[in-house]
Amino acid sequence: MWRIRLHGRGGQGIKTASQILGSAGFYSGFQAQDFPLYGAERRGAPVMAFTRISEKVILERGPIISPDIILIGDETLLNDSQSAPLCGADPTTLIFVNSPHPPEKLAQKFSLVTADLTDLCHKHLNKRTIYSSALSAVGARLLGTIELADLLQAVEDELTQQGIVTQALQGNLELVREIYTKIEPAILTPKVEKTLITKPMVLPDYRPVVDGAPIILEPGNMALRKTGNWRVERPEIDYTHCNDCLICYARCPDGVIAVNPEGRPAIDYDHCKGCLICAQECPGHFINTVRETGLFP
Amino acid sequence: MKTPKKIMLTGNKAAAWGARMARVEYVPAFPITPQTEIVETLAKWFADGTMQGKFTNMDSEHSMFMAAGSAGATGVRVFTASSSQGILHGLESLYTVTGWRVPMVIVNVSRALATPITLEPDHNDVMSTRDCGLIQLHAETCQEVFDFILMGYKIAEDPEVCLPLLVNLDGFYLSFTREPVLIPGEDEVRNFLPLYTATQPVFQASQPMARASAVFGGVTYTSFKLQQELASRNAEKIFAKTAHDFKDRFGRYYGPVETFHLDDAEYVFVMSNSFATKGKSAVIKLRQQGIKAGLLKLRLFRPFPSEAIASVLAGHAKVAVIDQNLAPGMGGITYPEIVTALYDKKNRPEKILSVIGGLGGKDMDDQDFRTIIETLDKSNMGKPLFLYDEEDAKNFDRLLKIAKLKEVSS
Repeated sequence: MWRIRLHGRGGQGIKTASQILGSAGFYSGFQAQDFPLYGAERRGAPVMAFTRISEKVILERGPIISPDIILIGDETLLNDSQSAPLCGADPTTLIFVNSPHPPEKLAQKFSLVTADLTDLCHKHLNKRTIYSSALSAVGARLLGTIELADLLQAVEDELTQQGIVTQALQGNLELVREIYTKIEPAILTPKVEKTLITKPMVLPDYRPVVDGAPIILEPGNMALRKTGNWRVERPEIDYTHCNDCLICYARCPDGVIAVNPEGRPAIDYDHCKGCLICAQECPGHFINTVRETGLFP
Repeated sequence: MKTPKKIMLTGNKAAAWGARMARVEYVPAFPITPQTEIVETLAKWFADGTMQGKFTNMDSEHSMFMAAGSAGATGVRVFTASSSQGILHGLESLYTVTGWRVPMVIVNVSRALATPITLEPDHNDVMSTRDCGLIQLHAETCQEVFDFILMGYKIAEDPEVCLPLLVNLDGFYLSFTREPVLIPGEDEVRNFLPLYTATQPVFQASQPMARASAVFGGVTYTSFKLQQELASRNAEKIFAKTAHDFKDRFGRYYGPVETFHLDDAEYVFVMSNSFATKGKSAVIKLRQQGIKAGLLKLRLFRPFPSEAIASVLAGHAKVAVIDQNLAPGMGGITYPEIVTALYDKKNRPEKILSVIGGLGGKDMDDQDFRTIIETLDKSNMGKPLFLYDEEDAKNFDRLLKIAKLKEVSS
């Protein structure tokens, strides 16, 4: 059985990628299973999805802890401790990162494949960056056992179910064809079954209600969770033209635009999730949107 | 679907397909994570004409189950679905409509109960409906979800049963997991499950009748309750008949329990629902290490197939009943039911361990199963065994510190 774990952000098509890969595997005659995992979150938040492809019956469910292949759709997740896309990787794990430059540190530790999917998506998908087809094509090709025809059929079936228009579907199919020729099948090493060992179970001591019941004594601790890396695009206020009308301040759904001592709006980039409602609402169009690249500090 | 086809479906989609192929005529609905995909799918199919009948959005699960029962009493085929807080909100209605003795199929997508609130699965929700008179089938795979709905109508509508039937599937691990499901052709399904024709008096225009009758003096109440008990007991026999009929037509056989590597097993895990898959995987790995493990999966949970369970478990030395539920102050809920079933067996197991795990979606791994075996080997195994390890305790302490920062810093 091959276990593939996919990482990306809400809205990037990560769940759909796992489903295309699952269907493609199934059409190629394998047993398949796919499963997404995300909280009650929103666009931009880290999400995970899993695909299992096997010649035999799949007797596993839920998250994949020890993946054979990790497909990372968004390289900004690499230093996100919540997402931890490398968790459970070992020397036999093949890692794919959507990046124009192979991250050197990773290449020293793991077998690494990179490709600039963002660029390819721009080319085929009318400048949109949705990795559902691209990432599934990378996964299918790395596995090496999935036929192109089955992959194309899976792309068509899954995207049609989601109501994609014909022209966009053609773009996705071309994208998949190009990736299929670009990526080489990988040599994968099956994981060695570990001997099952026991682990020490504990029965905790009784604690007073203050510790024993789900009481939060520090309200507002969500601020500790920096959500700035959910952004795919970042709003930037053009202060030379901004007339301090503060409509952005009023409209920000997350309250991350403050008014500074000079009476000007200021964006808290540690928490701004990049919904870009401020850019939409600015009457003078003085908030620019800039694509986020690189790693979040 | 005219001809049989195997397609990738989530557990939720498989449930919707079950209702569609059973040609249900009425669906009262109220959404709740992780069940929403079921009613969303059905809403679409009713709206675009794929399904014929009426889909109604209700104001709560309480009225939803009442509407389902009332529709069942008019003699139409009814389907509805809920989960967690939702099915608990409707619990009063569930007791009421089982007493009406009308058939329907209800899907519950298991999700742990508040407080604390979560979206992930365990079985305290479905266990809360354990005693209200529903027939219950618990599914491990998406195929079982689909098949149990077809079988479910056949059992619930049988004149010897006439009770609502619940099919349970786990949230996330099944509800959002896609795997191949064989959908049979329409004609095959029609032959197995013809359109519903009520064999009891039904509500009709200009013919007044009452279902929600009041009785005083315990004798009348007891008499009707005993009838309900007999109807539920009948369902075990009708289940067996239906399972054979299903196998003849579709090739898949479902006993009230499923056995996995059980014949020579010294250690038996008793499990239900989707985590049984994890148990099966552990059994294979344990056997590779020379440990003779096996698994008993519960499918028919109400009526409780005591004899089927006891006859399979008798003769095996060590049994662990794994409950994904917790009755605080008592322990696992199915454990005493299994022990009771075995009490008068001469060659009953020498040890029966209660294990509690998988609460609120907590994963179970191979090491958990290995630890259960080790505990069964101890002379004093203590009980119950909670699948909660040192690492879990450490992680919990870390979270507590964040939740109580002010207290720590002051």
